[in-house]
Amino acid sequence: MKIQSILLSVLVLLNLTACDNFLDITPTGKVIAETGDEYRALLTYEYNNFTKDRYMTTLRTDEIVMDKSKSSSTDLDAYLDLWRWKDDNPSPTTSYFSWRSYYHAIYIANYIIEHQNEIKEATRDEINQLVGEAYMMRAYNHFLLVNLYAEPYTHCNPRETRGVPMLLKADVNAVPRSSSVDSVYNQVISDLEKAEMSLNVETWELGKNYRFNKVSPQALRSRVYLYMGRWKDALNAAKIVLQSHNALENLNSGTTLPNSFKSAENIVALERYSSNLYTVINMPSGSFIGLYRSGDQRRTKYFKRVTSSTYSLLKGGSDDLVCSFRTAEMYLTAAEASARLNETETAISYLTPLLENRLNASALQNTAELMDNMSQEELIQEIMDERARELAFEGHRWFDLRRTTRPALTRKYDGITYTIQPEQYTMRFPSEAVEANPEIERWD
Amino acid sequence: MRRIYILIITVLCCIAEAAAQGRVVTGSVTDGEFKGEPLIGAYVTVDGTKEKKNTVTDVNGKFSITVPTTTKSLTVSYIGYQPHTIKLKPNVNKYSITLFPDDKNLEEFIVTGYKQIDRRKLTAAVTTINISDETVGAVKNIDQALAGQVAGLSAQTSSGAPGAPMKIRIRGISSINGVQEPLWVLDGIPMEGNEIPQIDNLNDIDDIYQTSIAGLNPSDIENITVLKDAAATAIYGARAANGVIVITTKKGKEGRPIVNFSTKLTYNPRASIERLNLLNADEKVGLELDLLDSPYDYRQHKGGVANILDELGEFNAYKNGGWNALSGEAQERINRLRTINTDWNDILFRNVFNQEYNVSFSGGSDRAHYYASAGYYTEQGTVKGVENDRFNVTLKSDFKINRMLTVGASVFANQRKQKSYMTDTGGFTNPVYYSRMANPYFEPFDAMGNYIYDTNVQGRESEAPDFNIFEERNNTSKNRKDRSMMAIFDATLKFNSHLKLTSQYGLQHDNYTLKRYAGHNSYAMRKAKEYATFMVDGERKSILPDGGMIKQTEANTDQWTWKTMLEWDNRFNEIHDVELMGGAELRHTETEMLTSTAYGYDERTLTTQPVLFPTESIARRYPLHEEAHTENAYVSWFATGSYTLLYKYTLGGSIRFDGSDVFGVAKKYRFLPLYSVSGLWRANEERFLKNAKWIDELSLRASYGLQGNIDKNTSPYLIGTFDKTSVLPGYIESVISAENAPNPNLKWERTKNVNVGLNLGILNNRIRLSADYYYRRSSDLISSRQLPLETGFSSTTVNWASMENRGWEFALNTRNVVTKNFSWSTNLNLGFNTNKVLNESVAENATYPSREGRPVGAIFAYKTDGLDEDGYPLFVAKDGSRQTAAEFFRLNRFGASTLTAEEQRNLYSYMGTTDPKCSGGFINTFEWGNWMLNANLMFNLGMKVRVQPSYSPTYYDRGLNTNHDILNRWTATNTNTNMPALMYNTAGRVNEYTHFSEYNTFSMLDMWVRSSNYCRLQSLRLGYSIPKNILKPLGISSASLSLEGRNLFVIASNYDNYLDPETMGNPYAQPITRSFIFGLNVNF
Repeated sequence: MKIQSILLSVLVLLNLTACDNFLDITPTGKVIAETGDEYRALLTYEYNNFTKDRYMTTLRTDEIVMDKSKSSSTDLDAYLDLWRWKDDNPSPTTSYFSWRSYYHAIYIANYIIEHQNEIKEATRDEINQLVGEAYMMRAYNHFLLVNLYAEPYTHCNPRETRGVPMLLKADVNAVPRSSSVDSVYNQVISDLEKAEMSLNVETWELGKNYRFNKVSPQALRSRVYLYMGRWKDALNAAKIVLQSHNALENLNSGTTLPNSFKSAENIVALERYSSNLYTVINMPSGSFIGLYRSGDQRRTKYFKRVTSSTYSLLKGGSDDLVCSFRTAEMYLTAAEASARLNETETAISYLTPLLENRLNASALQNTAELMDNMSQEELIQEIMDERARELAFEGHRWFDLRRTTRPALTRKYDGITYTIQPEQYTMRFPSEAVEANPEIERWD
Repeated sequence: MRRIYILIITVLCCIAEAAAQGRVVTGSVTDGEFKGEPLIGAYVTVDGTKEKKNTVTDVNGKFSITVPTTTKSLTVSYIGYQPHTIKLKPNVNKYSITLFPDDKNLEEFIVTGYKQIDRRKLTAAVTTINISDETVGAVKNIDQALAGQVAGLSAQTSSGAPGAPMKIRIRGISSINGVQEPLWVLDGIPMEGNEIPQIDNLNDIDDIYQTSIAGLNPSDIENITVLKDAAATAIYGARAANGVIVITTKKGKEGRPIVNFSTKLTYNPRASIERLNLLNADEKVGLELDLLDSPYDYRQHKGGVANILDELGEFNAYKNGGWNALSGEAQERINRLRTINTDWNDILFRNVFNQEYNVSFSGGSDRAHYYASAGYYTEQGTVKGVENDRFNVTLKSDFKINRMLTVGASVFANQRKQKSYMTDTGGFTNPVYYSRMANPYFEPFDAMGNYIYDTNVQGRESEAPDFNIFEERNNTSKNRKDRSMMAIFDATLKFNSHLKLTSQYGLQHDNYTLKRYAGHNSYAMRKAKEYATFMVDGERKSILPDGGMIKQTEANTDQWTWKTMLEWDNRFNEIHDVELMGGAELRHTETEMLTSTAYGYDERTLTTQPVLFPTESIARRYPLHEEAHTENAYVSWFATGSYTLLYKYTLGGSIRFDGSDVFGVAKKYRFLPLYSVSGLWRANEERFLKNAKWIDELSLRASYGLQGNIDKNTSPYLIGTFDKTSVLPGYIESVISAENAPNPNLKWERTKNVNVGLNLGILNNRIRLSADYYYRRSSDLISSRQLPLETGFSSTTVNWASMENRGWEFALNTRNVVTKNFSWSTNLNLGFNTNKVLNESVAENATYPSREGRPVGAIFAYKTDGLDEDGYPLFVAKDGSRQTAAEFFRLNRFGASTLTAEEQRNLYSYMGTTDPKCSGGFINTFEWGNWMLNANLMFNLGMKVRVQPSYSPTYYDRGLNTNHDILNRWTATNTNTNMPALMYNTAGRVNEYTHFSEYNTFSMLDMWVRSSNYCRLQSLRLGYSIPKNILKPLGISSASLSLEGRNLFVIASNYDNYLDPETMGNPYAQPITRSFIFGLNVNF
């Protein structure tokens, strides 16, 4: 009896003296980033979830067709209205371009930039590389946003035109407004400079080559200037990239697709085909296939003939096909910029190495002769077509169309013809974004 | 426990006036329940004298009183016991009297979960209800027992589905974020797992939600105490911010073993859905033809008429030439549709018969008590294929080991099984929803009895996988099995009559297994396959193998609570009572969840097939094994104290520190002291009221306290979760996903609580009134706020507002008629709560108005006034003018408003609040001989409800049925209406069209806000006790029979188009059905 009482009293005392350690539970899997590896993991998440919007823009170009009987019903639900430019009242099941995921990547980029001096267990070089990548992440996301949701730089007065909201601080309490198109581009360019100063990895090993490397700011810069119509700057940037990255896959002999992350052409392998995106739709348009001349290896390497008039896509659907920047784009940019500057010979000199790796011998000769006799305008058109042929289904076409002529493309579906209007080359802000922040349309 | 208190109660000072003449009568008073234990402090009153003359028993239960010689009798009374009158015999001056407890009176001790408090020292606002068939009727779950019983407690049914939980709110809402449920405490141990999801989220209502209180058998429960003010709840700390409900279970009583058997047999007829005003086949066909004639082209190939026209290739013929352009066959087939009227209600729902059986054994001696029971309960849903059963075992015993040590152990174990079938996340496979949406002309079977597939209900423009609700029911299943165990061990060590140590250890273990199966021939499987279609080797195919799919989830929740308290009480100088208690509590919770999935499943052979994933990224989307684990720990210290003078004045106080593991929170935020102070004045003990014999009780209570809460999911730091992924195929890397916005400014939510109450009992307690006024001021309220998406996050948690709740509560118990054979008593309880948001920091980006100065449940809407010449709603602007949406919102080309957020907020008008202004219950009990009749009414008055629009003007899907409102919509020939037209994308009003289709404006129109008031006859019950003389030869000590009707009728303001005023907002809810119950209760 006594023993019981004593035992109970002891137990009770134990209970009463419970200490703070009891509360020190680290929740399973939760973490506040402190080390270099943890900050790297934060950024890897953004690389991994990078939007596939560039690929989705293909749906709005002349590269793809949809058909009531041949397209799958899930694809029709998700993409039909996007494809037929029914933007005022798309069906509620339609998939549209993202918004928040751009800004989440920007938030993390800002977070890394702001916390760079607190990162533990990492060398200065590792931290600098991480910060450089963060600037690239911020620049590239803002660049994509302004090209999806604001008028083309080349078709507006950029200082007087509404751009997109820019977020330069990791601040959940921000209620931003838009900035002008011009200031967004300026910010992108200034971020590229900062990125350049920090980045120090020349080449990432295979498997990590989705990360931004030392040359990537120049690659993006060439694209930014191209979209701005600053030909000289675009040419210069492309030239610098080509100095270190000029390899091309030879489609006459090789089997690796140039947009594979394993390809010799690869500069940054970031944006991925989502395997359920238009690999199931998988219907390249006949008119687009018509752009390829006979003897062009791409016609059979990129596409597979299914019936006499329909094709399916080989350049998509594999997890290996991951690409944001590659050398072929740099050759094409250099060629276009030169042609626009009326340096036609230089232009042809940038185009030739690419064609040598894409066309068979006779086609190469024919094309060379053709180009020699072209006017500047014809040459520009040829280079634009070459861009379409080479970069097909890689998410370039839409941006190339909108920065140039914004042609009135047409489509037929279920007996009705649809035509895209020039202003439809600019997407409206998603209504959920306007709902969450009604004043983003305003800008100062 | 009772004995301990009895022991410490000492004589009240009462000075008996000396009688001039008479004799001295002595005696002893003992407790009939506790075998001769003396009753200390019992009143002995001399009858038949003009002057008040009485005395009280001493510590040995003895008394001595001088009575006039003329006195014939003495009355002995003791609070909580039946008074006893003895006839004085000549020359006999010594009497022994035994008093028996008065079960009809409310318990004189209030169980708060930490202490038992003598009602005469109770400073807090609490209500106790005894749980028996007579008081609450035949309830399936204990939460149902509370509806309409307690002033200030509102209970609303979420759905009529078997086991659907009640939404319980005590004194309005004090917290916006997360948990608004009260804390449930079982025999002193708080229970885990009683959060109920928001009713709006319950669209998959067949996913019968399980709470841990649902596992308790109501027949094991003795009483329930609802703690309402801070004086009572502060001791429970942060979790008690929404009030506390304390459940006390039955225990064995000393005496011979008692065996009790009871059964309830319930009949539920299926509900009628006539109230929904759905279109019949003729009307629906007419509507579809009308729509095809109109330019409204949303999903124009949907519906039975379009299906026929498409099949015959005459769709365009009709569009161009109308009815007369159709072939004879088309006309005939369309006309045939008009004649089919499938009664979905009849074939999807059923009348059901439910059963419940309970048996219990109880008894005890002076050294031990025991109670054991077993219960079985089975319920079939009125939806065919939905079943629910529960098996309970309860064992409870306590032992007095020696003079110092008492130990107790109880185990509550139950197993619950639920059977249902898979419902789609889209909701339409839910039979309740389907019965409203399916076309009246659609037949589910052909003449041969084969399934006909519904192609209209899937909510898709394009072709959708085949769906038939009967096939779905037969080929899919969803079974959930819950096993719960709660074990409580307690030990009390009584050092002496003043000091005791109590320790209580509670272990709660809940486990469930959820098996979801979809067979090969089911919509669920077809849809899964469709979504798993990829290009594999240049061919489009589904990667899922033939056969079914099985998904199994195992979840375990373990909680232990260990609390220890040291109690000390003493009385000084006969008049000063002091009680002190201090203690500590540790709590630890852990949950684990495991889900595994397999495809190609064959139900008969239990075999599965491997899935061949074409790529790694696709494989990642089909996880076969998922696990989750969370762990939390809490430490609390608490203390209470009270001082009572002469049983007249009591002062009390309590304090509690709660600490918990909060990852990523500064240590200073771990603890917040919560406290209360309170007082009681029992005026009837005052000398100046002593003579007012008609007053039995008059006491005043007051309390003040602080309650608080912290949000554990928000941190000032960016917190991420580890995961593994491969950005490029074949190269695995760690990622940290940080999708929760950090908030460095988050503070504790605090509620200050004031309560003033009055208890009044008059005319021999024939009339008892308890009235309370309370005021609760909550500041730094935590709520989730929508963020501009440009921040990178969609929402975060902020301290957004302060608000107050104030209100009155009345409970009036009257015994209106008491005669030998007949009695009538009434219980009326009323709660009036007004809630006001004092200030609200409206986010800059918010377009919905601030509720500042309004109730927290405020509903705002756009005022409209009729329709314009196109049948579009006309809005009433602030200047009174009627404007179109384009003018009202200043729409841009894309249908977005160009007004600033603030201007948009100002467009709204206040409509009312979702919380009842007045809620309560009215309970009448009639007893006549062996017969007893109870009628329980409950009501909620003065609410507003925002209902779902009858149809969307831009997205009305003609493949679905709807109610009659659509027939009254604006058309060129029907302009005298306020039902908006179906809109289409004409060149003129594109921006308005886009606005109505993409923004939430249409459902925010004032026409969708309705008043809601209702009064429900909760229960009407007739009971009969079989006379003892019939039972005695059978060896039965007592037996009763009862017949009860539940939910017989509801009186409410207009709820046209809805089944029940209580579930008006939720189109998926199963109707609350009527039920008729036969009950039998036998004691051996």
